[in-house]
Amino acid sequence: MFQTMNIAKGVNVHVNETTQFKTINFSLKFKDKLTKEKASARSILANVLQHSNEVYPSHTALRMVLDDLYGTSLYIDSSKRGNEHIVTLNVETVNDQYLSEEGVLEKVLNLMYIVLFKPNLENGLFKETIFNREKEAIKQRIESIFDEKTRYAQQRMLELALPEHPASIPANGTLEEVERVTNEKLFEEYQAMIHDNEIEIYAVGDIQAETISAYLKEYFKFEDRETSVDAPSVELVQPAETRVVEYEDMKQGKLHMAFFTPITFRDEKFPVMQLMNGVLGGYAHSKLFVNIREKESMAYYVSSSYASQFGLMFVLAGIDSKLEEKAVKLVLEQLEEVKKGNITDTELDQTKALLVNQLREALDSARGQIDIYDQYMELTEAFEPDYLISKWKAVTKEDIAQAAQQLSLEMTYFLSGKEDDSVE
Amino acid sequence: MNKVHFDQLDETLYKEQLPNGLEVYILPKKGFSKTFATFTTKYGSIDNHFVPFGGQEPVKVPDGIAHFLEHKMFEKEDGDVFQQFSKQGASANAFTSFTRTAYLFSATDQVTENVGTLLDFVQSPYFTEKTVEKEKGIIAQEITMYDDQPDWRLYFGIIENLYKNHPVKIDIAGTVESIQDITAEHLYTCYNTFYHPSNMVLFIVGAVEPDSMMDFIKANQSEKTFEEPKEIVRMYPDEPIEAAVKERTLEMSVQKPKVFVGIKPEALNLSGDEMLKHELAAQLAYELLFGRTSDFYHQAYESGWIDESYSFDYSLENGFGYALIGSDTAEPEVLAREIQHTLGNAMEKWPFGQADLDRVRRKKIGFFLRALNSPEYIANQFTRYAFNGMNLFDVVPFLEALEVPDLQAAFATVSAESQRSVFTILSPKKETV
Repeated sequence: MFQTMNIAKGVNVHVNETTQFKTINFSLKFKDKLTKEKASARSILANVLQHSNEVYPSHTALRMVLDDLYGTSLYIDSSKRGNEHIVTLNVETVNDQYLSEEGVLEKVLNLMYIVLFKPNLENGLFKETIFNREKEAIKQRIESIFDEKTRYAQQRMLELALPEHPASIPANGTLEEVERVTNEKLFEEYQAMIHDNEIEIYAVGDIQAETISAYLKEYFKFEDRETSVDAPSVELVQPAETRVVEYEDMKQGKLHMAFFTPITFRDEKFPVMQLMNGVLGGYAHSKLFVNIREKESMAYYVSSSYASQFGLMFVLAGIDSKLEEKAVKLVLEQLEEVKKGNITDTELDQTKALLVNQLREALDSARGQIDIYDQYMELTEAFEPDYLISKWKAVTKEDIAQAAQQLSLEMTYFLSGKEDDSVE
Repeated sequence: MNKVHFDQLDETLYKEQLPNGLEVYILPKKGFSKTFATFTTKYGSIDNHFVPFGGQEPVKVPDGIAHFLEHKMFEKEDGDVFQQFSKQGASANAFTSFTRTAYLFSATDQVTENVGTLLDFVQSPYFTEKTVEKEKGIIAQEITMYDDQPDWRLYFGIIENLYKNHPVKIDIAGTVESIQDITAEHLYTCYNTFYHPSNMVLFIVGAVEPDSMMDFIKANQSEKTFEEPKEIVRMYPDEPIEAAVKERTLEMSVQKPKVFVGIKPEALNLSGDEMLKHELAAQLAYELLFGRTSDFYHQAYESGWIDESYSFDYSLENGFGYALIGSDTAEPEVLAREIQHTLGNAMEKWPFGQADLDRVRRKKIGFFLRALNSPEYIANQFTRYAFNGMNLFDVVPFLEALEVPDLQAAFATVSAESQRSVFTILSPKKETV
């Protein structure tokens, strides 16, 4: 799928030469260790670099160039995976061949260089007004989670169940830490990102791998660097309380349950756990959906998800606030069924078929190819979909039951409507 | 089978209208593993007042029924259709909008079987009073979930402000109360009226071989019998041009206020090429005024009136439409005033020339080419365009033909003060201790 070239120590270029898409996609991923401090600073940094630079000193000037380059999309985001924090420069541009104009690609590469290497500085630091404005923007982004009750409930649950654990550190950092970031600190973080971080560069489209990597090597001047992102630790501390109820002014109750599993992404049983999660609550044929939504009519959404990097599984449901106890009981009953191996052949086959479909489908987008490859290259250098598909095919009901038996309930969190809201 | 090649886009579209009236489109995509299919009826939440198939007198049906019907289509006497799709490795879904109900799946294997399942389940209604009752709990939870989402409330709040009579102001899913009135008989009435093949479009895009797929679809359809198609009579109330309510505020639990300025368009009776030209011209005009390169955006962002949630949009259907501009903001009054000010200034003296048009046109062409990588975008948008008599693949040539006066003319129909409204969501005032 991807050809990999090393352009400096710790800097790899992965290219997929394909005519599948009408556009060319680039992702430059800067990887560092995840801490609250780093996540907070690096989120501001992503915004500052995306705002403007030395050549295009205002947001408007930069956006006008992008519009002129046929609406080339360019954004920088902050994400996390296990113990890693990742700042990604994402660029997508149209392929010249659909345009009357040539040379668009080279202009786009040059712009990517400017965005990364020619920041908008003033007295050796980021321009103060931009720094302040983008710091404010990140604070607002963090605060806005409160308005999306499902995301908010999930975050509250993680904070309570896994304090100080990478699983509960938001990719955008925290309000307190964002507040503490100074312009000096941000500039240090920028230097570290460019000079010290492990970098993975991806390119997907109708392009030549040699040409792209030669260009990057000549113009992007990344020096050698040591790469030492640790494997995530899965040490979990027992939460202070195992059931927490909080109240907000809202109509629907949000049930979030966290389970611990010793099986992580790096475990050979990882594909088994993917199936286990699928059978329990991953799909519209799964036990939770069929029993809690279809049979009991008590939820519109109810599902489970497997956070393989952290060894966690979550169950989420939106229910009437009065039905918390009943919902928890039903979830645990269905999990019990899986533990006992009460899984039909149909359930097993459906889950396998949908996992395969989901993977193949994801590979039909350039972004999907990059994300999947970037994740799985940790497990196998030359990742191909068949690597996983053959493993899923071999999984039995007994394997799934065994994986389920290793789950332990860490916390039940319920975000409920107002307590006194008992009007029928 | 008709075959149209679009040279500039390097796409070939296969098309046929079957004897029962169903329009079928197939678009093969080179290099793709997945196939995405949508089976869509031109029936949405606004179609609540109509003459039923075989009837004489118009009826009014309960709010939320098109969406309710969408839910109930998945349940059959022998179980749930999701199960069948899962067995065939497909993930299936459906959605209801103001004007459409779409059933869809994506699959990387057993594509023909899945297309068969899609056609068969949508064409075999099965409703009983018992299953209808059972669904009410699920949909009530869905409605409640949306009730807690401030962005959804903001969106519907502004549409309610703009429209006085038109059913676009009714929430697509209805209310917890209105769905209680829905019966199996209602569902059959709506189904029989709107799910005739002549009111539907099937679109298949991705890893699909057009000839054998078309043969399969024809065989599937010829095995079924349908009544002769009748023209569907839909009634819509008269709607004034002016916004129904100038200003309204809702209190709910949010971290920061939210505001939308909405503008109701005058040009509500367009279709076909005229509609396409108008929509693209108006979208470009709004891009120039409120896009990320606009003076407005620059000032609003630097002044802290808007944040990353800022958005603007212009969308038009037959009979209704809206332009929306808004953001989460600590200063909803200032933001609303500045948006109105920008609209008013552009009305008085149009500030844009050829270079501006060229720039936003390029941006839009680029966006369109990017979107053509997405089978979902192609299928959904193509169907929306088709229901309005437009062709999705005309977008680039139409964009290339636009002139500055076209933008100005389109903007003039979506800008007048009397057509504007403001909707704001505020946090409840904290009680002072």
